[in-house]
Amino acid sequence: MSGEAILSVRGLGVDYPVGRKLFPAVRGVSFDIRKGETFSVVGESGSGKTTIGRAILRVAPVSRGEILFKGERISGRIPAERERALRQGIQMIFQDPMASLNERAKIDYIVSEGLYNFRLFKDEAERRAKVEKALREVGLLPEFASRFPHEFSGGQRQRIGIARALVMEPELLVADEPISALDVSIRAQVINLMNRLKRDLGLTYLFIAHDLSVVRFISDRIAVIYRGRLVELAEAEALFARPLHPYTRALLSAVPLPDPEIESRRRFVVYDPSMHDYSKEEPEWIEAEGGHFVLGTPRELEAWSAGPGGAGA
Amino acid sequence: MSGRDDKRSQAATGPAKTAAAAPGAQTASGAAAAPILEAKDLSISFSLRGRRLRAVRGASLSLRAGETLAVVGESGSGKSVLSKSFLGMLDKNGRVDSGSILFGGEDLAAYTKERQWLQVRGKRIAMIFQDPMTALNPLKTVGEQIREAAALHRGLDRKTSRLAVLETLERVGIAEPEARYRQYPHEFSGGMRQRAVIAAAVACRPEVLICDEPTTALDVTVQAQILDLLKSLQKDFGMSILFITHDLGVVAKVADRVAVMYAGQVIEEGLSREVFYDPRCPYTWALLASLPQLGVKGEELYSIKGTPPSLFKEIKGDAFAPRNPKALLVDYEAEPPVFEVSPTHWARTWLLDPRAPRVEAPDTIARLRGRLEARAAADAGARGPGEGGKA
Amino acid sequence: MRRDLPDLGPELFRPAPFDESKAELTGYARYSYWRSTFRTFLKSPVSVFLLALILVLVTASFVYPVLSPVDPNQVELDTSAWNARPGNGHVFGTDGLGRDIWARTWHGTRTSMLLGLVIALFDVGIGMAAGALWGYVRKIDRIMTELYNVLNNIPQTVFLILLTYIMRPGFWTIVVALCSTGWIGIARFVRNKVITIRDAEYNVASRCLGTPLRRMITRNVLPYLVSILIMEAALTIPYSIGSEVFLGFIGLGLPIETVSLGNLVNLGKNNFMLYPYQLTWPTLVLAAITVSFYIVGNRFSDASDPRNHV
Repeated sequence: MSGEAILSVRGLGVDYPVGRKLFPAVRGVSFDIRKGETFSVVGESGSGKTTIGRAILRVAPVSRGEILFKGERISGRIPAERERALRQGIQMIFQDPMASLNERAKIDYIVSEGLYNFRLFKDEAERRAKVEKALREVGLLPEFASRFPHEFSGGQRQRIGIARALVMEPELLVADEPISALDVSIRAQVINLMNRLKRDLGLTYLFIAHDLSVVRFISDRIAVIYRGRLVELAEAEALFARPLHPYTRALLSAVPLPDPEIESRRRFVVYDPSMHDYSKEEPEWIEAEGGHFVLGTPRELEAWSAGPGGAGA
Repeated sequence: MSGRDDKRSQAATGPAKTAAAAPGAQTASGAAAAPILEAKDLSISFSLRGRRLRAVRGASLSLRAGETLAVVGESGSGKSVLSKSFLGMLDKNGRVDSGSILFGGEDLAAYTKERQWLQVRGKRIAMIFQDPMTALNPLKTVGEQIREAAALHRGLDRKTSRLAVLETLERVGIAEPEARYRQYPHEFSGGMRQRAVIAAAVACRPEVLICDEPTTALDVTVQAQILDLLKSLQKDFGMSILFITHDLGVVAKVADRVAVMYAGQVIEEGLSREVFYDPRCPYTWALLASLPQLGVKGEELYSIKGTPPSLFKEIKGDAFAPRNPKALLVDYEAEPPVFEVSPTHWARTWLLDPRAPRVEAPDTIARLRGRLEARAAADAGARGPGEGGKA
Repeated sequence: MRRDLPDLGPELFRPAPFDESKAELTGYARYSYWRSTFRTFLKSPVSVFLLALILVLVTASFVYPVLSPVDPNQVELDTSAWNARPGNGHVFGTDGLGRDIWARTWHGTRTSMLLGLVIALFDVGIGMAAGALWGYVRKIDRIMTELYNVLNNIPQTVFLILLTYIMRPGFWTIVVALCSTGWIGIARFVRNKVITIRDAEYNVASRCLGTPLRRMITRNVLPYLVSILIMEAALTIPYSIGSEVFLGFIGLGLPIETVSLGNLVNLGKNNFMLYPYQLTWPTLVLAAITVSFYIVGNRFSDASDPRNHV
């Protein structure tokens, strides 16, 4: 994993019109994703995590700030060639395998859709070869190309979605809750697949999720998001060993672990946002230790650092 | 590891025990209370597109008084269908083919008239679902809906039932109950709606509460609150809870005992500790071993190949065999009977047959046990000389 | 189900060979949307009967004029053949000029059906394209909604009569009159369906892949509309035929030389008291077609809803 940033998000703000007013789904989010790493953004519903992914792929409007891919701005108005490069360089995997494939199209078309859009093949034979390669890479048989989505199980459909993204030969994959809609026994298949692809193809992942305990297994670095703002960012193990922000602590204490003896000892900690008084002092994005960032005032940071250690076993 | 060998030798002297091991057998140790709700060899099928779908194929489980029994399974395992049958809420094209459901001295599976179910449903057995909006009428105020149910099932007059509802709303953690009483469901957030549904279920003081994935659609922090709430309600009202879920973390948190379902059958049942730290069925192994929460970074997770079998077809032998790399030939020939592992723990797998070769559980299970024993040793060390590690 | 242990030989307790690719091939549901739709539709005997009735009537009306030597416009000079009762030679009787009503009914049905089909085609074609765009492109929603409110509130009958006065009464006049206001109803229907589909994940996926709007509409949206469109077409036909009859009834229909159901009804009503068969038979055929199309259209719409596929 090299240290250079492949994706930079700077002060991203996304507002959604709700009736007359504007609802700020994302407020001033900044982070870098390094090439070859798995960077996870964890939050609950309404935290804005999905919106970040969509803003990167230009399917959600950016109201403030900018997003840079390999040094070039990809948010706002950009020339057509850059958009084209973006669509090939960054792709997305979706949450619900039952809704993310076009039921009335064959697998062949579904996987080739991106290729058709940008004419990424010389002739029919090359296109078919690319489709076959993508299907094999995700562990599906090439003969599946002539079938329809409803003939496949959830796990297989999710893998078709991954093949669809892979055929574009992207460098960065944004995975929006790719396993939460899958059965428990299928999740491992998809996780293993994603890890293997990362290794074999040198991919970088932005993994959006709501389950901290799952994210721990696959992530290099984790960012916690609450109501549109990042509250903590650290390397995976550091976050679990020393969670600083009270929301992170609450989140960690809330996630149940499949170990009854540990569970019987744990107590759930509630996060009350009104515990902060930001009327006098604005919170800053402070680096508590190397690479471990927290949103808070210096005084708060002192109090949190002195507190008890991690909630994860 | 010695504890496990003891259990193995116990099971190895098994043949005599298999004949006697009926799930739900009463013994001195472990299970203290009598079963309050029991399913015996239940088979349920549906008529679908001209064919017969066998959703439940001879499932047996027992819910003891005052405990929380978790039913774990994936989609298609039959867990929801099983729980709906306890309330006579199967879809029109479904029917109970055979078996019995024992509750309060009666066989619910034999009920044919809606009138019979009305004495049980809501009143003695209540159910809450994943989506609270399926239980709440969007056109009536929340308070009024709960009041009607309470008045009906407990025979209270208008005033008393209203007070009871306010009390219950407060009890489930809904602040300002008087104001909330007059509100409509759409004015509640997801977590509050689920609390309202729990209030509605509990206001009628049922003996059994069936929860079908009640927290799956909720945020993690809200889920934790709801689970804590259910536990405290159980303690106060002495309810027995049947908790259906696919999330093994939730199971670890709430369950006293666990029943694992696969392809329409209950394949393993035991105390929570037994199922997590000493599982015997290959499917249970696979389920636990594939959890990312228990994975080691850098290693591949154990993953189960393929998908569950089609329940339209007759299944020969062990339903999990085609996906089990450690399957025996007999798994394709004959359905495994119930084998007893301990007085409180049984499993349907040929691996427990004395003639079966010794098969190791995956590393993950061993690691889980290892951590447990390490913790126990640390505790014992901190406490000073005393009891050793208990498996 | 307990088995007696002694039945199984000890050699069965050896590991079985494991084939991974076999595991990959499980989990198939051979569910075909169209097959299920037709199966659900054909379950009801009423639907089957009426569908058969439609086929019979339509076939008769298109085949009879080709095969029969009888000329529907042949006027009898022998006045004794005028207004003949049904029987010997004339199944439905004859009208005031001795023309065979049986032949006229089938020719007329063909004309009216053709009219209905043309109108349905235009209505559905324009409505579908407009509705898809309307639903998909957010910017034009306001304008289209205003247009809808205007067009929908124009009293159809008055508009029909007005237009027929302005243009000469004829086949294409009726087509224009009915289509100019009819398309927006279908467009609205389509637009509602498109809005539900628009934000589905597979459409977001297409946008992430850079799919242009044109292809999104043809491949992502339209295939889901086919069942709606068939239903709409099935309902538009009886409506169109009914309008033509109505116009014929008030004398503003197709030219008097054209044999159509409307003209038959118009002529037949004059002698209804004396020779009721001149009106009743064409009306019965008309009713049979109208009711059948209407019911079959509705039933088909129900059957194409995946929730009704049991």
